[in-house]
Amino acid sequence: MAPSAEFGANHPSNLKTTLHLSQQAPDTFRQLGKPLVQLSTFNQQGSDDFDTLEKLFFSCIQSADDESALLCLEHLTNRFGSSNEKVMALRGLYDEATAENQARLERCLNNYDDILSRNPVNLPILKRRASVLRSLSRPSDAISCVVQLLDAVPTDVEAWCELAELYHSQGMSPQAIFSLEEALLIVPHAWTVHARLGEISYIFARSLEGEAMSRSLSLSIRHFCRSVELCDDYLRGFYGLALATTPSLVTRIPETSRDGLKKKETIERLHSTALRKLQETLSTQYSRKPHLREYEENELSVVKELLGQSSK
Amino acid sequence: MALQGVEQTILRDPALFYWIVIPITAVMILTGMLRHYATVLMNSPPKPASTLAESRERLTLLRAVNLRNHASAVLSKESFEMRKNYLVSGFQNGAFLKDPNARGQPPANPMTDPAAMEGMMGMMKGNMMMMIPQTLIMSWINAFFSGFVILKLPFPLTIRFKSMLQSGVMTRDLDVRWVSSLSWYFLNLFGLQSVFGFILGSDNAANHMAQQMGPMNPAAGANPFQPGQDPHKMYLNEAENLEVFEHFCILDGIEERILRKYSADQTQ
Repeated sequence: MAPSAEFGANHPSNLKTTLHLSQQAPDTFRQLGKPLVQLSTFNQQGSDDFDTLEKLFFSCIQSADDESALLCLEHLTNRFGSSNEKVMALRGLYDEATAENQARLERCLNNYDDILSRNPVNLPILKRRASVLRSLSRPSDAISCVVQLLDAVPTDVEAWCELAELYHSQGMSPQAIFSLEEALLIVPHAWTVHARLGEISYIFARSLEGEAMSRSLSLSIRHFCRSVELCDDYLRGFYGLALATTPSLVTRIPETSRDGLKKKETIERLHSTALRKLQETLSTQYSRKPHLREYEENELSVVKELLGQSSK
Repeated sequence: MALQGVEQTILRDPALFYWIVIPITAVMILTGMLRHYATVLMNSPPKPASTLAESRERLTLLRAVNLRNHASAVLSKESFEMRKNYLVSGFQNGAFLKDPNARGQPPANPMTDPAAMEGMMGMMKGNMMMMIPQTLIMSWINAFFSGFVILKLPFPLTIRFKSMLQSGVMTRDLDVRWVSSLSWYFLNLFGLQSVFGFILGSDNAANHMAQQMGPMNPAAGANPFQPGQDPHKMYLNEAENLEVFEHFCILDGIEERILRKYSADQTQ
């Protein structure tokens, strides 16, 4: 999709990009047309088309273009049949997104339970069920649902990350850290997950005292380091690193902990390195035109704020 | 060998070329394509697990393999030990088995287990798809074209190539450069991979080499157990692997690594 290139490396969670993508729906439908969709089992590019269609579905849902989303869903249903697990999940997602009140969401949940009673290993539906429970603000049920899913499918990265977020939202940081570590065991080079693990252990460290705090903080620093090692100039990683190595926090590390002093010096140097990298990123980003920047305005302003605080 | 330096000539009807070389080549290409589509049609995807317990039995093994492969990149010593102990004790007392009570019993006869039966049928189908067309074509060539000498290669070869190029023609004195019809079939059989790759795409099913390599690397998410294998034995194996695994952590000393990396950046 060429037009999205002008937005630079924007993350798909960015609403502006999403809206822009979903506005391509009419074009895509015109290109697809009926005959192509039916022929595309013999077409080498066929699977790509449906992949695009699925992504378009998500963008439409996010930007509240329900009609286009329904069209996408119908195309997919025509091709794969309504009993396909993924199509079932997409249908469920559509129902959830268009549900106006709690009662409708409850009905979605009952529907999922119904499907699962017929086929207990319908993974996409199991995941939808967990997220409906989350939308219904029943986090403990959602957690037990994801745990049940992970007991059967311990190699699902998405589910481990979701579980980590659920635990984190409940303030159960050690469990969240454990879940993220499990996710990392499956995708050991995901720098975003490393950074997230760093963030959660940083938050956990701030609530602790003494030895435990120092252990959690050093875990956090290490994971931030790993994330910037894996991805050069990773803004979020450097931001986290700068936060986790803040002098006011480091002074709370008890002197009794092993090689505390040597460590402190390293941490100070890490802090200044992180600040320097943030400063560099900020100046290169601000020297560009707004639409060529790789980061959002709010990200950059948060970085600016941090730099302002630390220079005081 | 004929007289040194004298070109061996055989008077051939040029029609031989059109009526043998081209038909054999065309038939080989067409059967290859046909085989591709027949395989695609008959191929049944590996059956997904039908219960949660079954899925757990399959994937826990992969989880242990993941732990072994990636622990050094992620985990500190304590969290590795914790996971190792959990998995090893689970493997040893059969906590992850679909049916913990069946542990230690001799594996069921694969002939009576419908799931295993299906797996074997899949393999059978694959093999049959290869063997039947090959047998048919080879007997067709033997019946119609045996003994024909159809081509002369434009370059000399050593005598070793005689058995490869002149199968079906038992003439001791014939120059190695002559190619018999049966040999042309074999050359086609092994030489058409790139043609199929061009026509059908790189992951085509006509490629029988790929099919032979297939079972060696089962796709991720598929059943790691071959039919007839005892999961408990695989678990015990894996538990042993985990126990002897020596853990080191890539995160040790990462602070210095980062400092070195980015201070080097600065000086440049």
